[in-house]
Amino acid sequence: MKILLAEDTRDLNRVLTVALEHAGFDVDSAFDGEEALTYLEKNGYDLLILDIMMPKKNGIEVLKAVRSYDNMTPVLLLTAKAEVDDRVAGLDAGADDYLPKPFAMKELMARVRALTRRKTVYLEKTLRYGDFSLDMERFELTCENSVHLSVKEFELLQVLVRNAGHRVDTDFLMAHIWNGMDNATPEMVWLYISYLRGKLDAVASSITISGEKNGSYMLEEA
Amino acid sequence: MRAAMERLLDQIEDIRKNLTVKLGMDPVDHVLSRIKSEESMRDKCRRRNLPETVESATEKIYDAIGIRVVCAFLNDVYLFRQKLLELPGVRIAEEKDYIRRAKPNGYRSLHLILHVPEGFYAEIQLRTVSMDTWAALDHQLQYKKELGENTALIVEELRRCANELASTDVSMQTIRDMIMEANEVENTSGGGHA
Repeated sequence: MKILLAEDTRDLNRVLTVALEHAGFDVDSAFDGEEALTYLEKNGYDLLILDIMMPKKNGIEVLKAVRSYDNMTPVLLLTAKAEVDDRVAGLDAGADDYLPKPFAMKELMARVRALTRRKTVYLEKTLRYGDFSLDMERFELTCENSVHLSVKEFELLQVLVRNAGHRVDTDFLMAHIWNGMDNATPEMVWLYISYLRGKLDAVASSITISGEKNGSYMLEEA
Repeated sequence: MRAAMERLLDQIEDIRKNLTVKLGMDPVDHVLSRIKSEESMRDKCRRRNLPETVESATEKIYDAIGIRVVCAFLNDVYLFRQKLLELPGVRIAEEKDYIRRAKPNGYRSLHLILHVPEGFYAEIQLRTVSMDTWAALDHQLQYKKELGENTALIVEELRRCANELASTDVSMQTIRDMIMEANEVENTSGGGHA
């Protein structure tokens, strides 16, 4: 995994780089905001660690630039300023976490692991439930047979699998899968539930989705 | 044998007409038929070590008569299957459902071997338009074997396309069900006013 570290204090930059490399990460080290953006133009990263107080461009400016072109890489801000307003500004600008200086190296490493963990979970190749499996790379639903799923069908089935054993209601699904899009309606959720029922049936799975239109849904043995 | 096929085709046409009235739409896109040529009959007898006789042609070879019914929607395939089995004197000799269990390359179709009253066997292939489109391209591939190192990639991509088309067939069926359900509700409530 590749990390971009932007920290202008030379000693701290050196210590962090060595510690992260020791933990198995590839690290690019920048010493100001502009250098960080130059690195970002050339490479993709799994995590950005940005100091807020840096010359040329500060950490918040770098963060805003990154998010402005829809780059969703996790960002950890390092802040000397312990002011609540600064932390809020950082999180609102799109940071995933922050760590006030001075910090214990142990804590920094734990936060780095937490922020990069989600990505490894997403990289699971298959998700299994009952007699079917979901291929996360090919977007395929497989039991006795295979069919391809659309992005929304795939996300919907994933949510149902991850919530196996309890019901998820239509409002939750509209908010989490359609992210409150204007055209998200209970009818649309119902249509996608119906698509998935058809596709589970098409691959001859013994699992189906219980629930009524406008109601709440759960995976169950047919 | 030709007379037997013509009769079967007439019956298929009748089923199609009845279902069109029932569903409010034609369940069939098109029907193809052929009688296996004498040459390919003899080939097949030789490959299977059968004597090249009329008896082999009518009793041992199942696809002397071949009919393909290409349907609009997935459920129409199974509806049509049901109607074929209800034909008088027709008996099912063999059934292979490659829709429920697609072939490893992605091929999908429902194959029925029917024994018709004239004493012949006929192979009926039932499939949707999407399945037919896929099979057409896959068939072309069989004649272009010199794909070299791209073969594995193309075979895998064709399999992926088959799975996407299968998915679309299910979605289109779901949408049709939803429309028909809405129509039924409308008709029922409309009937109340009349």
